[in-house]
Amino acid sequence: MEDLELLSDFSSFLKEKKEEGKKIIGFISHDNIPEELFDAGGFIPLRLMFGGNDDLMTASHDFLPPSTCAFAQSCIGLFSLKPRSYKFLEFIDYFLVSNHCVSDICASEIISKYFNIPRLNFYISYTKTNNSLTYLKLELQDLKQNLESIMGSKIENEDLLNSIKKYNNFKKKLLEFNKLYVKGSEKLKIIQKALLFGPDFHPTLENIIQKYKENSNDFENTSKDVILTGCSIFINDYIIDLIEEGGANIVFYDTWIGNSYFSQIISDDLIEAEKDPLNLFVHRFNKNIYGDHSVPNFLENKIAQILDMYHQYKQKTGKKLAVINHIIKFCDHISIMSSFFKNKLQDQGIPVLNLERDYSKANKGQLSTRIEAFLEMI
Amino acid sequence: MKAFIGIDIGSLATKIVLINEGKLVDHRTERSTYNFKKVGHNLFDDILVKNNLKRSEVYVMSTGYGRNTIDIADDRITEITAHAKGAQYFFPDAHSVIDIGGQDSKAILISKKTGNVVDFQMNDKCAAGTGRFLEVMAHALEVPINEFGDLALGSRKPASISSTCTVFAESEVISLFARGASKEDIAAGIHKSISRRVAGMAKRIGVAPKLIFCGGVAKNNAVKKYLVAELGFEIVSPEYPQLTGAIGAALIAQENNN
Repeated sequence: MEDLELLSDFSSFLKEKKEEGKKIIGFISHDNIPEELFDAGGFIPLRLMFGGNDDLMTASHDFLPPSTCAFAQSCIGLFSLKPRSYKFLEFIDYFLVSNHCVSDICASEIISKYFNIPRLNFYISYTKTNNSLTYLKLELQDLKQNLESIMGSKIENEDLLNSIKKYNNFKKKLLEFNKLYVKGSEKLKIIQKALLFGPDFHPTLENIIQKYKENSNDFENTSKDVILTGCSIFINDYIIDLIEEGGANIVFYDTWIGNSYFSQIISDDLIEAEKDPLNLFVHRFNKNIYGDHSVPNFLENKIAQILDMYHQYKQKTGKKLAVINHIIKFCDHISIMSSFFKNKLQDQGIPVLNLERDYSKANKGQLSTRIEAFLEMI
Repeated sequence: MKAFIGIDIGSLATKIVLINEGKLVDHRTERSTYNFKKVGHNLFDDILVKNNLKRSEVYVMSTGYGRNTIDIADDRITEITAHAKGAQYFFPDAHSVIDIGGQDSKAILISKKTGNVVDFQMNDKCAAGTGRFLEVMAHALEVPINEFGDLALGSRKPASISSTCTVFAESEVISLFARGASKEDIAAGIHKSISRRVAGMAKRIGVAPKLIFCGGVAKNNAVKKYLVAELGFEIVSPEYPQLTGAIGAALIAQENNN
C-alpha cells in the first residue's frame, strides 16, 4: 500500500522550499551526484526513488519499449500519468541527465524532452585513470557554472565546504542508525525518508536513533537474516513485504538506498586541507568502491564487501547470513553478471537468491514462492 | 497413528495424496478450476471418507500455487522443497529435478549428502516454458493436448520455432502453416522450443544425473525426448509424475511430526 503520508509530507516540504526561493533538481541516478553542490547553490535535490506498478510501466510504453529497465519505465510513467500523490513532481525546475546506466540516461532524456523540463548534464567517468579524474573535474566545473548562471550568483567555496560537511554528518548519522538491530522494513522506511528529505531529516533521525537505543530489546527476530544487494528497494515497493512475509529479515542494505550511499563520507582532514572543494568530489569518486557504475572491479568489490559483512555478522551473532540479489528486470548491469556473482558467493558457502522481477503485481505469487523456497533451503 | 496428506494446488490441477508409514496409500487429481479452494475441499473430504479417516487422524501439508489459500492445511511448504522430497520418494538417488507445471517450470538441485535443496531456478512470469505454452500451441494446431506429444514424435524434420514468447510463437505457427509445414513438424518444433528453454534454465544451476522429470508435462514423451537431447544425458520420470509435489509435501509433514 502507498505511504501517502510520506508523499504528502514531502510535497509540503518541497512547497516550502520553493517558497523560500529554492529551485528543485530532479534526477534518477543514484551514484556520484554532487548533492552538496546543489545545496550550496540554493537547489533542492529530488532523487527519483519511487517504486513502480503495472499502470506506470504501461504508461511508459508510449515513450520507450517494454524491454527497458522496469525502474526507468516507472519513472517515466510517473511523469506521464501524474498520479495524485506524486503531484510534487510538478515542482521540478530542472532535470539532471546523468549516466549511472544506459537506462538512466534514456529515461532522463525522455523526461526532460517530453515533459518539458529544462535539462542539466552531468556525465560521470567510468574508469579511475588520471584522464578520467581530470574529465570528472571538468564536468563538475561545468555543472557548477550552470547552477551559478541559473541562480545568478556565485557558489562560494566556503558555502560548498559547509554543505559537504553537512552531508557528511548526515551520512555518519545514517551509518550509526544502520548499526542498530531494527526490523528490516522499519530500517528501510527510515533510510528512504532520509534520502528523500536529505540533511533536513537529521534532527528527526537523531530522535529516532535515541528512541531505538532506549528500546533496544523490543525487536524479537524469529526470521532468517539476509543481506539485500543489487537494485534498491524504492518507496512503496511491495517486495519488502513479500520478503518479510516469507520469513526473512534484511539486516544490511548493500544498495544505493542503503550502505552504498551513506558510506560515501569524505574524511574531515581532507576537507580541512583541500582548497578547491570540487576536488573533494573527485576524491570521493576515486575512493568509491561501491559504485556499480565503475569499471573495472565493481563486482569484485561488491563480493569482497559482502564476504566481509558475512564474516563480521557471523563473528558477532553466531548466525549465518544469506544474500538476496534484487534484480529489477532489464537492469543490465545487475542482471548480466548475476550468475557469476551468485556462483562466486556460493563457492564460499553463502546462499544467494537472484530475485529477478518487475513491478507487476501479476507475479507476486511466484516471487513469494521463490523467497519462501530460498528460506526453506537455508 | 496419524496419516499424512499432501495437497498440491497447482494453477491447472489439484493433486492430493495420502501417505501412511512412508507409503503412498491413495491419491486423487482434479482440474483446479477458478474455485480451487472448493476443489481442494472436495478432494480432501473424498479421500478421508474412502479411507475411513477422521479429520483429527490426519496431518495436512499444502503446497503449490494455492498453498496459502487452502484452510484445511495444518502447515505449508513451497513446491520447490516438496518436489525435491517427492522425487526422492521415487528415486532415492535423485540429484536434480525438472518440474514443468501448468503455470511455471522449475529446476532443482538436490544435495547428495543431505537430500536437501541446494539451488533452484524458476521461469519468470512468462508462459513460455510451461504447460500453458503447450496448451496454447495444441489449441492453435487443433490437437487434443494428450495427443500433442505423440504427434510431435511422428515428425521427420522438426520446424524451427525461434520465438520464446507464447504469443509470437503462435504467430510463427500460423506462418509455418501458410508455408506448408506439416502438423507433425510444427508440433515437434514447439516441443523442441519448450525443451530448449527449460534445459537452458536447468543448466544454469548445473543439473546432472540422476535427473527426475516430473509435473504434468512429464507425461509428454516428446518434451522428454527433446529435453534429453538438450541436456545431453538420460532423464527419468516417476510412475505418477504429477503427484511428486503432493507426495513430497506429505513426506515432509511426516518428517516434521516424527
